[in-house]
Amino acid sequence: MKKWKKIIIILVLATVLTGVSVVLYVYLKPHRDVTTEKGVQLSAQSLYDAFKTNENDANAKYLNKAIEMTGEVADVSANQDGNTVINFKTNDPMFMINCTFKTKPGELKAGQTITFKGICTGYIPDFNVVINEGVLVK
Amino acid sequence: MKLFLSLVISTVFFIANADAQKIFATRNGKVTFSAPNDEDVTAVNNEVTSRIADNGQMTFSLLIKGFKFKYAEMQDHFNDQYLESTKFPRGDFKGTITNLNEVNFSKDGAYKATVSGDLTLHGVTKKVTVNGTIEVKGGKPVLTAKFTIVMNDFNVSAKAVAEKVNVEVSCQYQ
Repeated sequence: MKKWKKIIIILVLATVLTGVSVVLYVYLKPHRDVTTEKGVQLSAQSLYDAFKTNENDANAKYLNKAIEMTGEVADVSANQDGNTVINFKTNDPMFMINCTFKTKPGELKAGQTITFKGICTGYIPDFNVVINEGVLVK
Repeated sequence: MKLFLSLVISTVFFIANADAQKIFATRNGKVTFSAPNDEDVTAVNNEVTSRIADNGQMTFSLLIKGFKFKYAEMQDHFNDQYLESTKFPRGDFKGTITNLNEVNFSKDGAYKATVSGDLTLHGVTKKVTVNGTIEVKGGKPVLTAKFTIVMNDFNVSAKAVAEKVNVEVSCQYQ
């Protein structure tokens, strides 16, 4: 075989391989799984205080981080896609820490104390801090 | 003095009551968006907060990092390259119903509503007008709306993926 033919074959193979790996990378990259992460342990009140005092600082500290929160469940509901949602109370009756489970946590009741671990997506003033993609730790 | 005090108090209460407006709220409304030409590009946010007052004022807020994509790599791209969600974590809308005379929050039924206001996304604020439906069921409103966002309007350069996205809003209020 002539040298240039070899080069062309190698080039074509390399291109195909690169293409396939890019596609695999985009489509097969796993979603983040909070169960394998160690969460920052926080109370609902301290997370709320951090955001209320300085939103930028709190964003830098907690945004996109795994948070493990223990507290009393204020209410239990389901979102429109059927995932379980609970709220943790703060000292502001209007302000909650809104937590969405990605797995079924079993039966939960208002008043129960639980430990929830999820990913903090941020702060909505006068409403809540959101933690989602969460699991029940205990 | 006592009489005067009670008069003042009852007057204050009377005014407060006359002024009382009904406010409906949710912490878990849903916003979905999708690229019209690529069915893989679609994302859902189920933590949309919203308040509607029966005087027609409404607010919506959502966190960009709360959008879930089918593919993790697209979700990362969306957050890091396009919406820069660490710098601009939140999207907000603040507006009013412009045809309030056609919407009755205290009577069950489905009402067509037009809402005008300011949409802030990626640090850019734009005036938008959206048509939707408010359905009052058992005294509680359910809002649905569909509209299109042009990425360029909000300084999002996502030409390679989508120049526009279709947005759907669905909120059930308490």
